[in-house]
Amino acid sequence: MQLRYVFSELRQGLRRNLSMHIAVILTLFVSLTLVGLGVLLNQQAEKAAAQWGSQLEITVWLCKTEDDNPSCLGEVTTAQKAAIVDVIENNPEVADYRYESQEVAFEKVKELLGPEKFDGPNPAATAEALPQSFWIELKDPQEYEGITSAVIGLDGVSDLRDMREVLEPIYGTIDAMKTGAYATAAFLIVAALLLVGNTIRLAAFARRKEIGIMRLVGASTLYIALPFLMEALVTALIGVGLATAALAGFVYYGIQQNVGERLQFIPWIGTPEYLNAVIFIAILGPLLTLLPTLLLTRKYLKV
Amino acid sequence: MIRFEKVTKTYPGQDHSALDDVTVELDKGEFAFLVGSSGSGKSTFLRLVLREARPTSGRVYVAGKEINRLAGWKVPRLRRQIGTVFQDFRLLPNKTVHENVAFALQVIGKSKAHIKQVVPETLDMVGLANKADRMPDELSGGEQQRVAIARAFVNRPMILIADEPTGNLDPTTSIDIMKLMETINGTGTTVLMATHDAGIVDQMGKRVIELVDGQLVRDQARGAYGLPTN
Repeated sequence: MQLRYVFSELRQGLRRNLSMHIAVILTLFVSLTLVGLGVLLNQQAEKAAAQWGSQLEITVWLCKTEDDNPSCLGEVTTAQKAAIVDVIENNPEVADYRYESQEVAFEKVKELLGPEKFDGPNPAATAEALPQSFWIELKDPQEYEGITSAVIGLDGVSDLRDMREVLEPIYGTIDAMKTGAYATAAFLIVAALLLVGNTIRLAAFARRKEIGIMRLVGASTLYIALPFLMEALVTALIGVGLATAALAGFVYYGIQQNVGERLQFIPWIGTPEYLNAVIFIAILGPLLTLLPTLLLTRKYLKV
Repeated sequence: MIRFEKVTKTYPGQDHSALDDVTVELDKGEFAFLVGSSGSGKSTFLRLVLREARPTSGRVYVAGKEINRLAGWKVPRLRRQIGTVFQDFRLLPNKTVHENVAFALQVIGKSKAHIKQVVPETLDMVGLANKADRMPDELSGGEQQRVAIARAFVNRPMILIADEPTGNLDPTTSIDIMKLMETINGTGTTVLMATHDAGIVDQMGKRVIELVDGQLVRDQARGAYGLPTN
Protein backbone atom coordinates (compact mmCIF):
# COMPACT_ATOMS: atom_id res chain seq x y z
CA MET A 1 0.00 0.00 0.00
CA GLN A 2 1.32 3.38 -0.92
CA LEU A 3 1.31 5.56 2.17
CA ARG A 4 2.24 8.57 0.09
CA TYR A 5 -1.16 8.40 -1.58
CA VAL A 6 -2.96 7.98 1.74
CA PHE A 7 -1.24 10.99 3.29
CA SER A 8 -1.76 13.24 0.29
CA GLU A 9 -5.44 12.25 0.31
CA LEU A 10 -5.56 12.94 4.05
CA ARG A 11 -4.06 16.40 3.60
CA GLN A 12 -6.43 17.19 0.75
CA GLY A 13 -9.41 15.85 2.65
CA LEU A 14 -8.65 17.91 5.75
CA ARG A 15 -8.25 21.04 3.65
CA ARG A 16 -11.29 20.44 1.47
CA ASN A 17 -13.69 20.09 4.37
CA LEU A 18 -11.94 22.43 6.76
CA SER A 19 -15.05 24.10 8.19
CA MET A 20 -16.73 20.77 8.85
CA HIS A 21 -13.61 19.39 10.48
CA ILE A 22 -13.35 22.44 12.73
CA ALA A 23 -17.00 22.00 13.73
CA VAL A 24 -16.32 18.34 14.59
CA ILE A 25 -13.17 19.24 16.54
CA LEU A 26 -14.89 21.98 18.59
CA THR A 27 -17.90 19.83 19.37
CA LEU A 28 -15.66 16.95 20.37
CA PHE A 29 -13.49 19.28 22.44
CA VAL A 30 -16.41 20.59 24.50
CA SER A 31 -18.16 17.24 24.88
CA LEU A 32 -14.97 15.39 25.83
CA THR A 33 -14.11 18.13 28.33
CA LEU A 34 -17.51 17.71 29.95
CA VAL A 35 -17.19 13.93 30.02
CA GLY A 36 -13.74 14.33 31.56
CA LEU A 37 -15.20 16.72 34.17
CA GLY A 38 -17.84 14.15 35.01
CA VAL A 39 -15.17 11.50 35.48
CA LEU A 40 -13.14 13.86 37.68
CA LEU A 41 -16.14 14.83 39.83
CA ASN A 42 -17.08 11.20 40.23
CA GLN A 43 -13.60 10.47 41.55
CA GLN A 44 -13.80 13.55 43.79
CA ALA A 45 -17.03 12.28 45.35
CA GLU A 46 -15.49 8.84 45.91
CA LYS A 47 -12.39 10.34 47.44
CA ALA A 48 -14.34 12.55 49.83
CA ALA A 49 -16.61 9.66 50.77
CA ALA A 50 -13.62 7.44 51.56
CA GLN A 51 -12.38 10.03 54.03
CA TRP A 52 -15.57 11.33 55.56
CA GLY A 53 -18.08 8.62 54.92
CA SER A 54 -21.16 8.96 52.85
CA GLN A 55 -24.05 11.20 53.74
CA LEU A 56 -25.76 8.37 55.54
CA GLU A 57 -22.97 7.71 57.99
CA ILE A 58 -22.47 8.61 61.65
CA THR A 59 -19.14 8.05 63.34
CA VAL A 60 -18.90 6.92 66.98
CA TRP A 61 -15.49 7.69 68.47
CA LEU A 62 -14.46 5.33 71.25
CA CYS A 63 -12.41 6.29 74.30
CA LYS A 64 -8.64 6.18 73.96
CA THR A 65 -5.96 6.52 76.61
CA GLU A 66 -5.83 10.12 77.85
CA ASP A 67 -9.06 11.00 76.11
CA ASP A 68 -10.26 14.63 75.92
CA ASN A 69 -13.64 13.53 77.25
CA PRO A 70 -13.43 13.43 81.09
CA SER A 71 -16.06 10.71 81.33
CA CYS A 72 -13.66 8.30 79.61
CA LEU A 73 -11.79 6.21 82.16
CA GLY A 74 -8.88 5.02 80.00
CA GLU A 75 -9.03 3.10 76.72
CA VAL A 76 -12.25 1.39 75.77
CA THR A 77 -12.38 -2.26 76.94
CA THR A 78 -13.40 -5.29 74.95
CA ALA A 79 -16.50 -5.71 77.10
CA GLN A 80 -17.52 -2.10 76.52
CA LYS A 81 -17.07 -2.53 72.76
CA ALA A 82 -19.22 -5.66 72.80
CA ALA A 83 -21.94 -3.73 74.63
CA ILE A 84 -21.79 -0.91 72.05
CA VAL A 85 -21.95 -3.39 69.16
CA ASP A 86 -24.96 -4.96 70.82
CA VAL A 87 -26.79 -1.60 70.96
CA ILE A 88 -25.90 -0.78 67.33
CA GLU A 89 -26.93 -4.16 65.99
CA ASN A 90 -30.31 -4.04 67.72
CA ASN A 91 -31.20 -0.54 66.62
CA PRO A 92 -33.83 -0.47 63.82
CA GLU A 93 -32.41 2.72 62.25
CA VAL A 94 -29.06 1.08 61.45
CA ALA A 95 -28.53 -0.31 57.95
CA ASP A 96 -24.94 -1.40 58.45
CA TYR A 97 -21.86 -0.61 60.51
CA ARG A 98 -18.14 -1.22 60.46
CA TYR A 99 -15.32 -0.97 62.96
CA GLU A 100 -12.23 1.18 62.27
CA SER A 101 -9.04 0.43 64.20
CA GLN A 102 -6.45 2.95 65.31
CA GLU A 103 -4.10 1.80 62.57
CA VAL A 104 -6.66 2.36 59.81
CA ALA A 105 -7.49 5.81 61.19
CA PHE A 106 -3.80 6.62 61.29
CA GLU A 107 -3.35 5.60 57.64
CA LYS A 108 -6.23 7.89 56.60
CA VAL A 109 -4.74 10.85 58.47
CA LYS A 110 -1.38 10.16 56.86
CA GLU A 111 -2.94 10.12 53.43
CA LEU A 112 -4.84 13.36 54.00
CA LEU A 113 -1.95 15.37 55.44
CA GLY A 114 0.94 13.72 53.62
CA PRO A 115 2.97 10.77 54.92
CA GLU A 116 6.19 12.79 55.25
CA LYS A 117 4.89 14.38 58.49
CA PHE A 118 4.51 10.99 60.15
CA ASP A 119 7.60 9.10 59.10
CA GLY A 120 10.98 9.52 60.74
CA PRO A 121 12.06 10.02 64.35
CA ASN A 122 9.73 12.89 65.30
CA PRO A 123 6.22 12.15 63.96
CA ALA A 124 3.36 14.62 64.32
CA ALA A 125 1.16 11.87 65.73
CA THR A 126 1.14 8.11 66.26
CA ALA A 127 -1.60 5.55 65.89
CA GLU A 128 -2.17 5.56 69.66
CA ALA A 129 -3.25 9.22 69.54
CA LEU A 130 -6.21 8.36 67.33
CA PRO A 131 -9.41 6.80 68.57
CA GLN A 132 -11.02 3.54 67.47
CA SER A 133 -14.43 4.11 65.93
CA PHE A 134 -17.64 2.59 64.63
CA TRP A 135 -19.02 3.89 61.32
CA ILE A 136 -22.76 3.50 61.31
CA GLU A 137 -24.76 3.64 58.12
CA LEU A 138 -28.37 4.73 58.57
CA LYS A 139 -31.36 3.41 56.68
CA ASP A 140 -32.87 6.88 56.47
CA PRO A 141 -30.64 9.94 56.93
CA GLN A 142 -33.55 11.84 58.50
CA GLU A 143 -33.96 9.33 61.35
CA TYR A 144 -30.91 9.34 63.53
CA GLU A 145 -31.99 10.61 66.97
CA GLY A 146 -32.72 7.07 68.17
CA ILE A 147 -29.23 5.77 67.54
CA THR A 148 -27.39 8.89 68.69
CA SER A 149 -29.20 9.04 72.02
CA ALA A 150 -28.81 5.27 72.49
CA VAL A 151 -25.07 5.32 71.89
CA ILE A 152 -23.91 8.62 73.40
CA GLY A 153 -24.41 7.62 77.04
CA LEU A 154 -22.68 4.23 76.81
CA ASP A 155 -19.46 3.53 78.63
CA GLY A 156 -16.42 3.68 76.35
CA VAL A 157 -17.98 6.18 73.91
CA SER A 158 -16.03 9.40 73.73
CA ASP A 159 -17.88 11.38 71.09
CA LEU A 160 -20.22 11.12 68.16
CA ARG A 161 -19.81 12.78 64.82
CA ASP A 162 -22.65 13.55 62.49
CA MET A 163 -21.13 15.20 59.42
CA ARG A 164 -24.28 15.25 57.37
CA GLU A 165 -24.90 18.96 57.76
CA VAL A 166 -21.41 19.82 56.58
CA LEU A 167 -21.11 17.23 53.86
CA GLU A 168 -24.56 17.32 52.33
CA PRO A 169 -24.11 20.63 50.45
CA ILE A 170 -20.68 19.55 49.21
CA TYR A 171 -21.87 16.15 47.99
CA GLY A 172 -24.99 17.80 46.58
CA THR A 173 -22.92 20.29 44.59
CA ILE A 174 -20.57 17.62 43.26
CA ASP A 175 -23.51 15.43 42.29
CA ALA A 176 -25.35 18.24 40.53
CA MET A 177 -22.24 19.31 38.63
CA LYS A 178 -21.55 15.71 37.61
CA THR A 179 -25.10 15.17 36.37
CA GLY A 180 -25.04 18.48 34.52
CA ALA A 181 -21.72 17.67 32.86
CA TYR A 182 -22.83 14.20 31.74
CA ALA A 183 -26.23 15.42 30.48
CA THR A 184 -24.73 18.29 28.45
CA ALA A 185 -22.02 15.98 27.15
CA ALA A 186 -24.66 13.48 25.99
CA PHE A 187 -26.36 16.12 23.83
CA LEU A 188 -23.05 17.31 22.42
CA ILE A 189 -21.95 13.76 21.65
CA VAL A 190 -25.08 13.25 19.58
CA ALA A 191 -24.25 16.51 17.76
CA ALA A 192 -20.66 15.33 17.25
CA LEU A 193 -21.80 12.00 15.79
CA LEU A 194 -24.14 13.76 13.37
CA LEU A 195 -21.39 16.15 12.35
CA VAL A 196 -18.99 13.27 11.73
CA GLY A 197 -21.64 11.59 9.60
CA ASN A 198 -22.22 14.73 7.55
CA THR A 199 -18.51 15.28 7.08
CA ILE A 200 -18.08 11.80 5.70
CA ARG A 201 -21.04 12.19 3.40
CA LEU A 202 -19.59 15.43 2.02
CA ALA A 203 -16.14 13.90 1.63
CA ALA A 204 -17.50 10.78 -0.06
CA PHE A 205 -19.49 13.00 -2.40
CA ALA A 206 -16.47 15.17 -3.21
CA ARG A 207 -14.44 12.05 -4.00
CA ARG A 208 -17.18 10.00 -5.66
CA LYS A 209 -15.40 9.83 -9.03
CA GLU A 210 -12.14 8.61 -7.50
CA ILE A 211 -14.00 6.17 -5.32
CA GLY A 212 -15.97 4.84 -8.28
CA ILE A 213 -12.79 4.21 -10.25
CA MET A 214 -10.99 2.69 -7.26
CA ARG A 215 -13.82 0.21 -6.80
CA LEU A 216 -13.83 -0.58 -10.49
CA VAL A 217 -10.12 -1.29 -10.78
CA GLY A 218 -10.17 -3.41 -7.63
CA ALA A 219 -8.75 -1.24 -4.84
CA SER A 220 -9.35 -2.90 -1.49
CA THR A 221 -12.06 -1.56 0.76
CA LEU A 222 -9.50 -0.67 3.41
CA TYR A 223 -7.51 1.31 0.89
CA ILE A 224 -10.60 3.27 -0.12
CA ALA A 225 -11.70 3.83 3.47
CA LEU A 226 -8.26 4.66 4.89
CA PRO A 227 -8.23 8.40 4.10
CA PHE A 228 -11.64 8.70 5.78
CA LEU A 229 -10.45 6.80 8.85
CA MET A 230 -7.29 8.91 9.04
CA GLU A 231 -9.35 12.10 8.86
CA ALA A 232 -11.56 10.82 11.64
CA LEU A 233 -8.54 9.93 13.74
CA VAL A 234 -6.85 13.29 13.24
CA THR A 235 -9.95 15.28 14.21
CA ALA A 236 -10.46 13.04 17.25
CA LEU A 237 -6.88 13.47 18.40
CA ILE A 238 -7.06 17.25 18.12
CA GLY A 239 -10.32 17.23 20.08
CA VAL A 240 -8.81 14.99 22.74
CA GLY A 241 -5.73 17.22 22.94
CA LEU A 242 -7.80 20.36 23.52
CA ALA A 243 -9.97 18.61 26.11
CA THR A 244 -6.87 17.29 27.89
CA ALA A 245 -5.53 20.82 28.17
CA ALA A 246 -8.86 22.17 29.41
CA LEU A 247 -9.09 19.46 32.08
CA ALA A 248 -5.53 20.17 33.17
CA GLY A 249 -6.53 23.79 33.61
CA PHE A 250 -9.57 22.76 35.65
CA VAL A 251 -7.60 20.46 37.96
CA TYR A 252 -4.76 22.92 38.46
CA TYR A 253 -6.52 26.29 38.67
CA GLY A 254 -9.99 25.14 39.69
CA ILE A 255 -9.06 22.54 42.28
CA GLN A 256 -5.47 22.58 43.42
CA GLN A 257 -4.91 26.36 43.38
CA ASN A 258 -8.44 27.24 44.44
CA VAL A 259 -10.71 25.08 46.61
CA GLY A 260 -7.82 22.77 47.43
CA GLU A 261 -6.09 25.66 49.20
CA ARG A 262 -9.18 26.93 50.95
CA LEU A 263 -10.91 23.72 52.03
CA GLN A 264 -8.13 21.51 53.22
CA PHE A 265 -10.24 19.17 55.34
CA ILE A 266 -11.42 17.46 52.14
CA PRO A 267 -9.01 15.31 50.10
CA TRP A 268 -9.04 16.82 46.60
CA ILE A 269 -8.33 15.14 43.29
CA GLY A 270 -4.88 15.52 41.73
CA THR A 271 -2.68 14.08 39.01
CA PRO A 272 -3.71 10.38 39.26
CA GLU A 273 -7.40 11.22 38.94
CA TYR A 274 -6.61 13.63 36.11
CA LEU A 275 -4.74 10.87 34.26
CA ASN A 276 -7.72 8.52 34.68
CA ALA A 277 -10.00 11.12 33.10
CA VAL A 278 -7.53 11.73 30.25
CA ILE A 279 -7.21 8.01 29.50
CA PHE A 280 -10.99 7.76 29.44
CA ILE A 281 -11.50 10.59 26.94
CA ALA A 282 -8.47 9.49 24.88
CA ILE A 283 -10.31 6.21 24.26
CA LEU A 284 -13.76 7.76 23.92
CA GLY A 285 -12.75 10.50 21.44
CA PRO A 286 -11.39 8.28 18.65
CA LEU A 287 -14.28 5.84 19.17
CA LEU A 288 -16.76 8.67 18.62
CA THR A 289 -15.30 9.47 15.20
CA LEU A 290 -13.99 6.08 14.04
CA LEU A 291 -17.14 4.07 14.72
CA PRO A 292 -19.49 6.26 12.65
CA THR A 293 -16.78 6.46 9.97
CA LEU A 294 -16.50 2.68 9.79
CA LEU A 295 -20.28 2.29 9.63
CA LEU A 296 -20.81 5.04 7.05
CA THR A 297 -17.90 4.13 4.80
CA ARG A 298 -19.44 0.67 4.59
CA LYS A 299 -22.59 2.38 3.40
CA TYR A 300 -21.11 4.94 1.02
CA LEU A 301 -18.11 3.02 -0.28
CA LYS A 302 -19.79 -0.36 -0.65
CA VAL A 303 -18.00 -2.62 -3.13
CA MET B 1 -13.75 -17.23 -19.14
CA ILE B 2 -17.31 -15.98 -18.53
CA ARG B 3 -20.13 -18.46 -18.02
CA PHE B 4 -23.76 -17.80 -17.12
CA GLU B 5 -25.82 -20.80 -16.02
CA LYS B 6 -29.60 -20.26 -15.97
CA VAL B 7 -29.10 -16.77 -14.61
CA THR B 8 -32.15 -14.80 -13.59
CA LYS B 9 -31.97 -11.35 -12.04
CA THR B 10 -35.03 -9.63 -10.67
CA TYR B 11 -34.57 -6.26 -9.00
CA PRO B 12 -36.50 -5.79 -5.77
CA GLY B 13 -39.95 -4.30 -6.28
CA GLN B 14 -40.19 -5.27 -9.95
CA ASP B 15 -42.17 -8.21 -11.25
CA HIS B 16 -40.37 -8.23 -14.61
CA SER B 17 -36.95 -9.89 -14.63
CA ALA B 18 -34.02 -7.86 -15.95
CA LEU B 19 -32.41 -11.14 -17.00
CA ASP B 20 -34.49 -14.26 -17.48
CA ASP B 21 -32.89 -17.72 -17.41
CA VAL B 22 -29.82 -16.78 -19.46
CA THR B 23 -27.22 -19.45 -20.19
CA VAL B 24 -24.20 -18.40 -22.23
CA GLU B 25 -20.44 -18.95 -22.28
CA LEU B 26 -17.48 -16.92 -23.54
CA ASP B 27 -14.14 -18.67 -24.02
CA LYS B 28 -10.77 -17.22 -23.28
CA GLY B 29 -9.66 -14.79 -25.98
CA GLU B 30 -13.09 -14.43 -27.52
CA PHE B 31 -14.59 -11.17 -28.81
CA ALA B 32 -18.35 -10.82 -28.42
CA PHE B 33 -20.96 -8.09 -28.82
CA LEU B 34 -23.86 -7.85 -26.44
CA VAL B 35 -26.74 -6.20 -28.29
CA GLY B 36 -30.31 -5.30 -27.53
CA SER B 37 -32.46 -2.23 -27.00
CA SER B 38 -32.39 -0.13 -23.84
CA GLY B 39 -33.79 -2.09 -20.91
CA SER B 40 -33.08 -5.44 -22.55
CA GLY B 41 -30.72 -6.45 -19.74
CA LYS B 42 -27.30 -5.61 -21.23
CA SER B 43 -26.20 -3.47 -18.29
CA THR B 44 -27.46 -6.03 -15.79
CA PHE B 45 -25.44 -8.66 -17.63
CA LEU B 46 -22.26 -6.57 -17.30
CA ARG B 47 -23.01 -5.73 -13.66
CA LEU B 48 -23.27 -9.43 -12.89
CA VAL B 49 -19.86 -10.11 -14.46
CA LEU B 50 -18.34 -7.34 -12.33
CA ARG B 51 -20.29 -8.56 -9.31
CA GLU B 52 -21.83 -5.19 -8.84
CA ALA B 53 -25.01 -7.21 -8.61
CA ARG B 54 -25.78 -10.80 -7.70
CA PRO B 55 -28.17 -13.06 -9.60
CA THR B 56 -31.54 -13.90 -8.10
CA SER B 57 -30.98 -17.46 -9.22
CA GLY B 58 -28.44 -19.32 -11.35
CA ARG B 59 -24.66 -19.13 -11.36
CA VAL B 60 -22.12 -16.72 -12.79
CA TYR B 61 -18.56 -17.96 -13.36
CA VAL B 62 -15.72 -15.58 -14.16
CA ALA B 63 -12.16 -16.85 -14.68
CA GLY B 64 -13.16 -20.23 -13.34
CA LYS B 65 -14.70 -18.98 -10.09
CA GLU B 66 -18.36 -18.88 -9.16
CA ILE B 67 -18.38 -15.21 -8.33
CA ASN B 68 -21.79 -14.89 -6.76
CA ARG B 69 -20.45 -17.04 -3.95
CA LEU B 70 -17.28 -14.97 -3.61
CA ALA B 71 -16.68 -13.41 -0.18
CA GLY B 72 -16.99 -9.62 -0.24
CA TRP B 73 -13.33 -9.01 0.53
CA LYS B 74 -12.29 -11.07 -2.51
CA VAL B 75 -14.28 -8.93 -4.95
CA PRO B 76 -11.48 -6.34 -5.44
CA ARG B 77 -9.16 -9.19 -6.54
CA LEU B 78 -11.77 -10.30 -9.10
CA ARG B 79 -12.07 -6.77 -10.47
CA ARG B 80 -8.30 -6.52 -10.93
CA GLN B 81 -8.71 -9.19 -13.61
CA ILE B 82 -11.41 -7.22 -15.43
CA GLY B 83 -10.89 -3.94 -17.24
CA THR B 84 -13.94 -1.74 -17.74
CA VAL B 85 -14.69 1.02 -20.24
CA PHE B 86 -17.79 3.23 -20.26
CA GLN B 87 -19.61 5.45 -22.67
CA ASP B 88 -18.82 8.54 -20.57
CA PHE B 89 -15.06 7.76 -20.21
CA ARG B 90 -15.03 8.50 -16.43
CA LEU B 91 -11.61 10.13 -16.35
CA LEU B 92 -10.51 12.17 -13.34
CA PRO B 93 -10.59 15.78 -14.60
CA ASN B 94 -7.87 17.04 -12.23
CA LYS B 95 -5.28 14.46 -13.28
CA THR B 96 -3.19 14.31 -16.44
CA VAL B 97 -3.48 11.47 -18.95
CA HIS B 98 -0.48 9.74 -17.38
CA GLU B 99 -1.83 10.23 -13.85
CA ASN B 100 -5.24 8.89 -14.82
CA VAL B 101 -3.73 5.66 -16.11
CA ALA B 102 -1.24 5.42 -13.25
CA PHE B 103 -4.05 5.91 -10.71
CA ALA B 104 -5.50 2.50 -11.56
CA LEU B 105 -2.19 0.88 -10.61
CA GLN B 106 -1.44 3.07 -7.59
CA VAL B 107 -4.67 2.23 -5.83
CA ILE B 108 -4.03 -1.51 -6.10
CA GLY B 109 -0.59 -1.06 -4.59
CA LYS B 110 1.70 -1.47 -7.61
CA SER B 111 5.25 -0.23 -7.20
CA LYS B 112 6.44 3.10 -8.54
CA ALA B 113 8.98 1.37 -10.78
CA HIS B 114 6.32 -0.88 -12.27
CA ILE B 115 4.03 2.09 -12.93
CA LYS B 116 6.85 4.04 -14.51
CA GLN B 117 7.44 1.24 -16.97
CA VAL B 118 3.92 0.04 -17.79
CA VAL B 119 2.01 3.32 -18.11
CA PRO B 120 4.11 4.73 -21.01
CA GLU B 121 3.98 1.34 -22.74
CA THR B 122 0.20 1.30 -22.53
CA LEU B 123 -0.15 4.94 -23.62
CA ASP B 124 2.06 4.10 -26.57
CA MET B 125 -0.19 1.18 -27.46
CA VAL B 126 -3.33 3.37 -27.52
CA GLY B 127 -1.43 6.02 -29.52
CA LEU B 128 -1.26 8.75 -26.88
CA ALA B 129 2.43 8.60 -25.94
CA ASN B 130 2.83 12.26 -26.92
CA LYS B 131 -0.14 13.45 -24.85
CA ALA B 132 0.77 11.96 -21.48
CA ASP B 133 0.91 15.35 -19.77
CA ARG B 134 -2.34 16.72 -21.14
CA MET B 135 -5.45 17.17 -19.03
CA PRO B 136 -8.56 15.23 -20.11
CA ASP B 137 -10.49 18.37 -21.09
CA GLU B 138 -7.77 19.19 -23.60
CA LEU B 139 -8.44 15.97 -25.50
CA SER B 140 -11.06 15.01 -28.07
CA GLY B 141 -13.72 12.46 -27.19
CA GLY B 142 -11.92 9.71 -29.04
CA GLU B 143 -8.67 10.51 -27.27
CA GLN B 144 -10.41 10.54 -23.89
CA GLN B 145 -11.84 7.11 -24.63
CA ARG B 146 -8.35 5.89 -25.50
CA VAL B 147 -7.14 7.08 -22.12
CA ALA B 148 -10.03 5.19 -20.52
CA ILE B 149 -9.09 2.07 -22.49
CA ALA B 150 -5.45 2.47 -21.45
CA ARG B 151 -6.56 2.69 -17.83
CA ALA B 152 -8.72 -0.42 -18.20
CA PHE B 153 -5.92 -2.37 -19.88
CA VAL B 154 -2.87 -1.14 -17.98
CA ASN B 155 -3.08 -3.99 -15.47
CA ARG B 156 -3.31 -6.52 -18.35
CA PRO B 157 -6.72 -7.90 -17.36
CA MET B 158 -7.98 -11.26 -18.64
CA ILE B 159 -11.32 -9.69 -19.54
CA LEU B 160 -12.21 -6.28 -20.97
CA ILE B 161 -15.78 -5.15 -20.57
CA ALA B 162 -16.98 -2.18 -22.59
CA ASP B 163 -20.38 -0.60 -22.08
CA GLU B 164 -21.26 1.40 -25.21
CA PRO B 165 -17.67 2.64 -25.63
CA THR B 166 -18.50 4.33 -28.97
CA GLY B 167 -21.83 5.78 -27.82
CA ASN B 168 -20.50 9.33 -27.59
CA LEU B 169 -18.20 9.19 -30.61
CA ASP B 170 -18.54 9.90 -34.31
CA PRO B 171 -18.31 6.99 -36.79
CA THR B 172 -14.69 7.54 -37.84
CA THR B 173 -13.47 7.79 -34.26
CA SER B 174 -15.58 4.75 -33.39
CA ILE B 175 -13.74 2.68 -35.97
CA ASP B 176 -10.40 3.69 -34.45
CA ILE B 177 -11.66 2.65 -31.03
CA MET B 178 -12.81 -0.69 -32.44
CA LYS B 179 -9.38 -1.27 -33.96
CA LEU B 180 -7.90 -0.67 -30.56
CA MET B 181 -10.32 -3.18 -29.05
CA GLU B 182 -9.23 -5.72 -31.63
CA THR B 183 -5.59 -5.10 -30.78
CA ILE B 184 -6.36 -5.72 -27.12
CA ASN B 185 -8.28 -8.85 -28.05
CA GLY B 186 -5.20 -9.92 -30.02
CA THR B 187 -3.15 -10.03 -26.80
CA GLY B 188 -5.43 -12.82 -25.55
CA THR B 189 -7.83 -10.67 -23.54
CA THR B 190 -11.47 -11.69 -23.72
CA VAL B 191 -13.57 -8.72 -24.88
CA LEU B 192 -17.27 -8.30 -24.16
CA MET B 193 -18.80 -5.16 -25.57
CA ALA B 194 -22.36 -3.94 -25.12
CA THR B 195 -23.44 -1.68 -27.98
CA HIS B 196 -26.24 -0.07 -29.95
CA ASP B 197 -23.99 0.63 -32.91
CA ALA B 198 -25.32 -1.54 -35.73
CA GLY B 199 -22.68 -0.36 -38.20
CA ILE B 200 -19.82 -1.52 -36.02
CA VAL B 201 -21.37 -4.89 -35.24
CA ASP B 202 -22.06 -5.56 -38.90
CA GLN B 203 -18.60 -4.48 -39.95
CA MET B 204 -16.67 -6.50 -37.36
CA GLY B 205 -18.36 -9.82 -38.04
CA LYS B 206 -17.82 -11.10 -34.50
CA ARG B 207 -19.96 -13.19 -32.20
CA VAL B 208 -23.27 -11.51 -31.34
CA ILE B 209 -25.32 -12.20 -28.21
CA GLU B 210 -28.73 -10.56 -28.32
CA LEU B 211 -31.02 -9.90 -25.40
CA VAL B 212 -34.70 -8.99 -25.67
CA ASP B 213 -36.62 -8.30 -22.45
CA GLY B 214 -33.98 -10.11 -20.47
CA GLN B 215 -34.06 -13.25 -22.56
CA LEU B 216 -31.28 -14.56 -24.74
CA VAL B 217 -32.82 -14.62 -28.24
CA ARG B 218 -29.72 -15.00 -30.38
CA ASP B 219 -26.15 -16.23 -30.04
CA GLN B 220 -24.50 -16.15 -33.43
CA ALA B 221 -20.85 -16.92 -34.16
CA ARG B 222 -20.38 -14.30 -36.90
CA GLY B 223 -23.40 -12.11 -36.54
CA ALA B 224 -24.84 -8.79 -37.60
CA TYR B 225 -26.75 -6.30 -35.48
CA GLY B 226 -30.19 -6.72 -36.99
CA LEU B 227 -32.33 -9.76 -36.51
CA PRO B 228 -31.65 -12.22 -39.34
CA THR B 229 -35.14 -13.66 -39.39
CA ASN B 230 -38.37 -12.84 -37.66
